[in-house]
Amino acid sequence: MPVTPPDTLQAEALGARLPPLLVAAERVASTVAQGVHGRRRVGQGDSFWQFRHFVQGDAVARVDWRQSAKSGRIGPGGWFIRETEWEAAQTVSLWRDGSASMRWRSRAVPIDKQQRAELLLLALSSLLLRGGERVMLMQPDARPVGHRAGLERIAAELPRLSDEQGLPPQVRLPRHGTVVLFSDFFSPPEQIRGLLGRFAAVPVTGHLMQILDPAEAVLPYQGRIRFRGVEKDGDTLIPRVESVRDAYGQRLQAQQEEIARLCATVGFGFTIHHTDQPPETALLALYAALAPR
Amino acid sequence: MIFAAPWVLLGLIGLPILWWLLRVTPPAPRSEDFPAIRFLLGLNATEETPARTPWWLMALRLTAAALVIVALARPVLDAGSALTGSGPVLLVMDNGWASASDWVRRKEAAAALLDRAERAGRKAALLMTAADGNGGRPAVSAEMPVADLRARLAGLQPQPWPPDRAAAAAAIKAWGQKPGTSIIYVPDGLTDGPDFAAFAQALTDAGAVTEVCCDAVPPPLLLPPTPEADRLIARLAQAPRATPAAAVVLAQSGDGRTLARTTINVPAGATIASGAISLPPELRNRLARLVLEGPPNAGSVVLLDERWRRRPVGLLAGDLSSAETPFAGALYFVRRALDPYAELRAGDAATLLKRDLSVLVLADRPLPAGPEREALTDWVRKGGLLIRFAGPRTAEEAGNDTDTLLPVRLLAGDRQLGGAMSWSQPAGLAPFPTISPFEGMPVPEEVRVTRQVLAEPTADLAAHTWASLADGTPLVTETPLGAGRVVLFHVTANADWSNLPLSGLFVDMLRRLVSLSAGVASTEDAATLAPAQTLDGFGLLGDPPPAATGLRGDAFGKTPVSPAHPPGLYGPENGRRALNLSTVLPVPELSPPIPGATLETMQGAAKERALGPPLVALAILLLVADMVISLALRGLLRARIAAAVAALLLLAHPALALDQGGNPAIDTRLAYIVSGDSQVDGIARSGLEGLSEYVNRRTAATLFKPDAVQPGQNDLSVYPLLYWPITASAQPPTAEQVAALNDYMSRGGIILIDTRNSGSGAGFNPGADEALKRATRGLIIPPLAPLTIDHVLARSFYLLTDFPGRFTGDAVWAQRDQDRANDSVSPVIIGGNDWGAAWAINADGINPYAVMPGGARQRTLAYRFGVNLVMYALTGNYKGDQVHVPAILQRLGQ
Repeated sequence: MPVTPPDTLQAEALGARLPPLLVAAERVASTVAQGVHGRRRVGQGDSFWQFRHFVQGDAVARVDWRQSAKSGRIGPGGWFIRETEWEAAQTVSLWRDGSASMRWRSRAVPIDKQQRAELLLLALSSLLLRGGERVMLMQPDARPVGHRAGLERIAAELPRLSDEQGLPPQVRLPRHGTVVLFSDFFSPPEQIRGLLGRFAAVPVTGHLMQILDPAEAVLPYQGRIRFRGVEKDGDTLIPRVESVRDAYGQRLQAQQEEIARLCATVGFGFTIHHTDQPPETALLALYAALAPR
Repeated sequence: MIFAAPWVLLGLIGLPILWWLLRVTPPAPRSEDFPAIRFLLGLNATEETPARTPWWLMALRLTAAALVIVALARPVLDAGSALTGSGPVLLVMDNGWASASDWVRRKEAAAALLDRAERAGRKAALLMTAADGNGGRPAVSAEMPVADLRARLAGLQPQPWPPDRAAAAAAIKAWGQKPGTSIIYVPDGLTDGPDFAAFAQALTDAGAVTEVCCDAVPPPLLLPPTPEADRLIARLAQAPRATPAAAVVLAQSGDGRTLARTTINVPAGATIASGAISLPPELRNRLARLVLEGPPNAGSVVLLDERWRRRPVGLLAGDLSSAETPFAGALYFVRRALDPYAELRAGDAATLLKRDLSVLVLADRPLPAGPEREALTDWVRKGGLLIRFAGPRTAEEAGNDTDTLLPVRLLAGDRQLGGAMSWSQPAGLAPFPTISPFEGMPVPEEVRVTRQVLAEPTADLAAHTWASLADGTPLVTETPLGAGRVVLFHVTANADWSNLPLSGLFVDMLRRLVSLSAGVASTEDAATLAPAQTLDGFGLLGDPPPAATGLRGDAFGKTPVSPAHPPGLYGPENGRRALNLSTVLPVPELSPPIPGATLETMQGAAKERALGPPLVALAILLLVADMVISLALRGLLRARIAAAVAALLLLAHPALALDQGGNPAIDTRLAYIVSGDSQVDGIARSGLEGLSEYVNRRTAATLFKPDAVQPGQNDLSVYPLLYWPITASAQPPTAEQVAALNDYMSRGGIILIDTRNSGSGAGFNPGADEALKRATRGLIIPPLAPLTIDHVLARSFYLLTDFPGRFTGDAVWAQRDQDRANDSVSPVIIGGNDWGAAWAINADGINPYAVMPGGARQRTLAYRFGVNLVMYALTGNYKGDQVHVPAILQRLGQ
């Protein structure tokens, strides 16, 4: 039967609503989901827990008629109630750094840090939503979403995500929630300490993922170069970049170690991801870190 | 040195500002955005001295800037004074025959003067004073920018006729007088007729004249030669000069080789001088033109036609029926004696005299009064040479005293010397008297005269005697008659009366007599002769210009040369008539300078050079160097980039060609033996390239780029054919070379040895024959025979009857056909036709070496010989079977 024009238009409209980033995020998330959950899954749905016999007092609406019919027995004795797992949905707040420093990439990699951060954010959202968690963006007027279709809303709100000087805005967070932050975390450690202190006071736990361009990790430049900051933080002329590479590396490492130490004190996780690495590994690590211990 | 745009030099004031700007601006570092700058801040704080441009780099840039400014000011070295006036410039150029000798210098001088006009921003017009080849009269061109005019000037050629002063003057007048006009006049130094004064007046009336003159001597004019008995008197005319001069006249044959040369010394102040060219008659008959040595022009060439060489001889006997009987006929020995040297005609007197005749031989034919004698007398008076032989009829008629066309009166009867009834013995010859043309000829002992007719003794008999017997009786007498002459042999023309006709002396005497005769003009009739080949301004024969028209046969010698009748050869192939420039032209007369003209020498006018372009080029080079240095200072000049730039620069150089391109064992290719002379090797290489290209185009063979080989060093076995040009300095080959070449030849290789000195090329490679002997010492060369049309080489691809190269004529030698070794394929072919030069093509696909005597046909035949040679080398005697085809066909037919 040929497809009628209205059907075609509807299909196109649906496709247009799903941006390429979302597709990529779904793809990344599906590989991770299969890696973690796939073999455990039996039956028809995630939320299935068990069948039990109908007992007096159960609402008739909860009878699983199909299962009951399979049993072949008559009457209330042969009825089955479908029981789902008790799920206490957790709210995960996500944020990615949208500052100018994130919108930068070196010549060696095809995407900038912000693109990678958004990809990871959406992929994590997809995973969490499939797992039944509630997901919200760290925004003053944001509301958590809790179903599969919520991913599109997350994706639509993502460009409006705000920040304050490379750090998340002050918003009211659900207590005992989880926070995941994607940034390059080049802010001074004092600011990060203040942020983590605020989180610990709510209290929430969470994870910090530092996203770095490979050029920022190893400083591969040579010769006489004037480096310009991207966020009005001045510039400097380095006559021989090779000679300062080690010093730069030590400074970067000191920053990372300081953040890791701060995270450990408040029970946060901290991982580092380079944009030239595949996003799946980062997502897997993130998912494993968020999994209930 | 002057500057054409001096105000541009004001730009030099800006240089200090540029210096200040360059000084305060350090070379910019490469800049990079970098988010993690916080970790870099404060690192390496030691580099605090601001980088300044090094002083030498600044000097480089300032120099480049200064060069550009100076170049824009358009400096001109050795500039002449500016032209007076401010209006249009009229360039008047004489382009008659006399300006061809230094035509290029004239154009350069004119172009240099035009440069001055261009600097002043003036427009220019052009007037050529000689009519053009289309018959157009001299006219002033439209005014145009100098750049356009220069392009027109480049294409101009001198014409083979004199300038038309009257028409040029009219053209200038028609152009009109415009305010501020300047006139540049490039004269040929001759008045070229009586209208020069009017022409000069027209020039001075039109504007301020700048005349380029006074350091070029007008060339002499070669006049048609005067034929004499045994020589040609070459004459030349020139404007009188203060110092004696000498000119060399070359007598050339039709194929361009020089048969004789003579020097004509012109005394100071003389206008006409002459010199003799002595040549044996058979060589003289081959003369086609006289040429003055030196830069060629139409006036330095005189074309010779039949008038200067044809000596038709008529033969007439008393008894026509038996005249040609072998060994007995009256004319048999005369015909045998003259046949190789002259054109012989037979017939009755009326038929013979209808056509032009130089000499008429009458053998024992009395001439009684009547129309025949009248006609003959008339003919002799006009310049004919009548040679009569005595005989029985003459002796019989002598007593009647009716035959007046005799040099002397004869006694009746004949005198018999010796015999049964006589005491006397047959008489020998006395030595020839000094007045005789036979003087100096050896008198053979064995000549005996047994009968003769006797002359009536007179006081002046000895003055008319050219030969006599030992007893003093005349044997040959003569007398002039009008412009001609009558000569009588007192014996018969056969062996009846003497054995003189049997001796070699008879041949020499007749030839000497014939060469005494005047030449004849062939057709003096009124038929119109079409131009066949005409001379251009440089004295080269070529196709006639569009305006050339035919000329009546009786108008030659009276018609001045003009676009309608350019100098050259007219008429059909077998009766060419030459129309020469100098026949009617008056003696050249030096033209006075134009009154009031500014005089410039050709040298001085042409010397100025613009310095701007080289300065700009230098500035660009400096800026390129500056760019490279800047890149290096900023750390941007990586090794790979530098290598790429260096490779680009190297590419700009002409590639150093490698001799051995590709594997000759895989591709068929020709090769030449390196002679050591770079020019000869270059000709050989381009020759083989041209031949390979021709072979690839015309045949199924595919030849690749030819190689240069050294016997003994390269493996010769992969080459089917070696071309070996012999230079005069060729050295004997070493033992290895001999061994390599002998091995090559014994295994079927073919060597084409070219001495490059045959025919017209005799002077091109002197000593090549000796060098050939030296260079081939030790080679096993089989017995040779000249190539004939029966040889396989003459039919291996094309059917050839001749094997020309750049030169032609001499025999080409190959192995004797009867030697059946190596399948009758000759291992060596020796000739001197310089085939390499004939085959040579340059990068533009043009043949750079002219063939001699010339013509596209000779070039084609040279290529065809090459194709045949390649086919011969590739297929051996495959086509040799066809040699036997006639024999086989004949056998089949029987």
